[in-house]
Amino acid sequence: MTAATETDRALVDRVAKGDRAAVRLLFMRHHARIYRFVARQTGSDMMADDIANEVFLELWRQAPSFEGRSEVSTWLLGIARFKALSSLRKKKEDWIDDEAAAAVPDSADTPEVVTMKEDKAAALRRFVDALPEEHRTVIDLAYYHGQSVGEIGEVLGIPVATVKTRMFYARKKLGEALKAAGYDRGWP
Amino acid sequence: MSAAEKMSRRDEMETLLPFYLNGSLEGSDLEAVEEWLASDPAALAALGEAEAEFSGTTAANEAIRPPADALSHFAKALDAEAGPAPAPASASWLAQAWGRFMAVPVGVAWAAAAVLLALIIAQSFVQPGGKGKDFEIAGAEGDLAKMPFALVKFKPDAKMSDISGFLGSNGLKIIGGPTADGVFRLGIPAANAADYTKQLGLIAAQPFTETVIEGRKPVDGG
Repeated sequence: MTAATETDRALVDRVAKGDRAAVRLLFMRHHARIYRFVARQTGSDMMADDIANEVFLELWRQAPSFEGRSEVSTWLLGIARFKALSSLRKKKEDWIDDEAAAAVPDSADTPEVVTMKEDKAAALRRFVDALPEEHRTVIDLAYYHGQSVGEIGEVLGIPVATVKTRMFYARKKLGEALKAAGYDRGWP
Repeated sequence: MSAAEKMSRRDEMETLLPFYLNGSLEGSDLEAVEEWLASDPAALAALGEAEAEFSGTTAANEAIRPPADALSHFAKALDAEAGPAPAPASASWLAQAWGRFMAVPVGVAWAAAAVLLALIIAQSFVQPGGKGKDFEIAGAEGDLAKMPFALVKFKPDAKMSDISGFLGSNGLKIIGGPTADGVFRLGIPAANAADYTKQLGLIAAQPFTETVIEGRKPVDGG
């Protein structure tokens, strides 16, 4: 088996034996997605950089404890989620910094006016970004990270039924936002 | 099928569509979605909408660019790390504490060692005879003041089990430290200078020892 085709689990086994090259390979495979996941969770590039690094250091430290009951990507997302929430709790009082404030939509234009300037794809992207965090996260995990219902439940620490409920409302809100912007898609 | 039931089924299918698109759907859920797509004229339009969400979400995520030097930053942080912690099931509380200590960056680790040492000493006080599992921790201050000692620094990848086994089998005692640089004061139970020198040589020869510096020798001084 070559390094290029070696599975994530095989690499974690190597990491557990102290193989630093293996953890670097896993970093190259998964870092961008983990970074983006944390950046979406925290709204901060700086926190995303620190936390994503910490996730892979945690992989290095905890590899012998990995039992292989989930995919490595799911395991890493779970660690990232935990660390992001911990960091946000620490920064609860002042985390809405300039970076986050810049992400708040300008109220000078109504959503309709803003949307008229955009095509549907751009509008949809804005609406995804504007979803409440708990809804946007399930959308991100399903569409971008390719996670199943069960895996999302594992990452977020919530029951499968709750994952489905959040997905339902997330998509419902997207549909309503599109409808309000003149893009009726027939559901909800 | 009533309108309400039909709506409920559509809600359920719309909820499952993202998972159909990402390929994670299986079993009865997959069959239900495929059956719906094949039988309901509205389903294909719904699938198109979900695909648009898929694209929008992907674009939103990929607009976020990780730093170009992320790997080199990580490599530096990794170099400062000791080896992976042993699996919890096979480790004693002391070994686990050591593992966690060794897992943090070196600078922090040696500072944290002071806390670990305090825990070890506290443990020795609550156990009859002041003995740990494998080695003795020095107790009374009067004894410590007189005891010959050496200053020892262990390698960052040293295993607690190796150190404790060695200390225990040679009657050695941790009597102080670590300093900010990670130097421990090790009590040497030597009766004379020759014995002291011999024991220092033994400590220096251990694979987990980084540095040994001569401290107080026995009173015959040599």
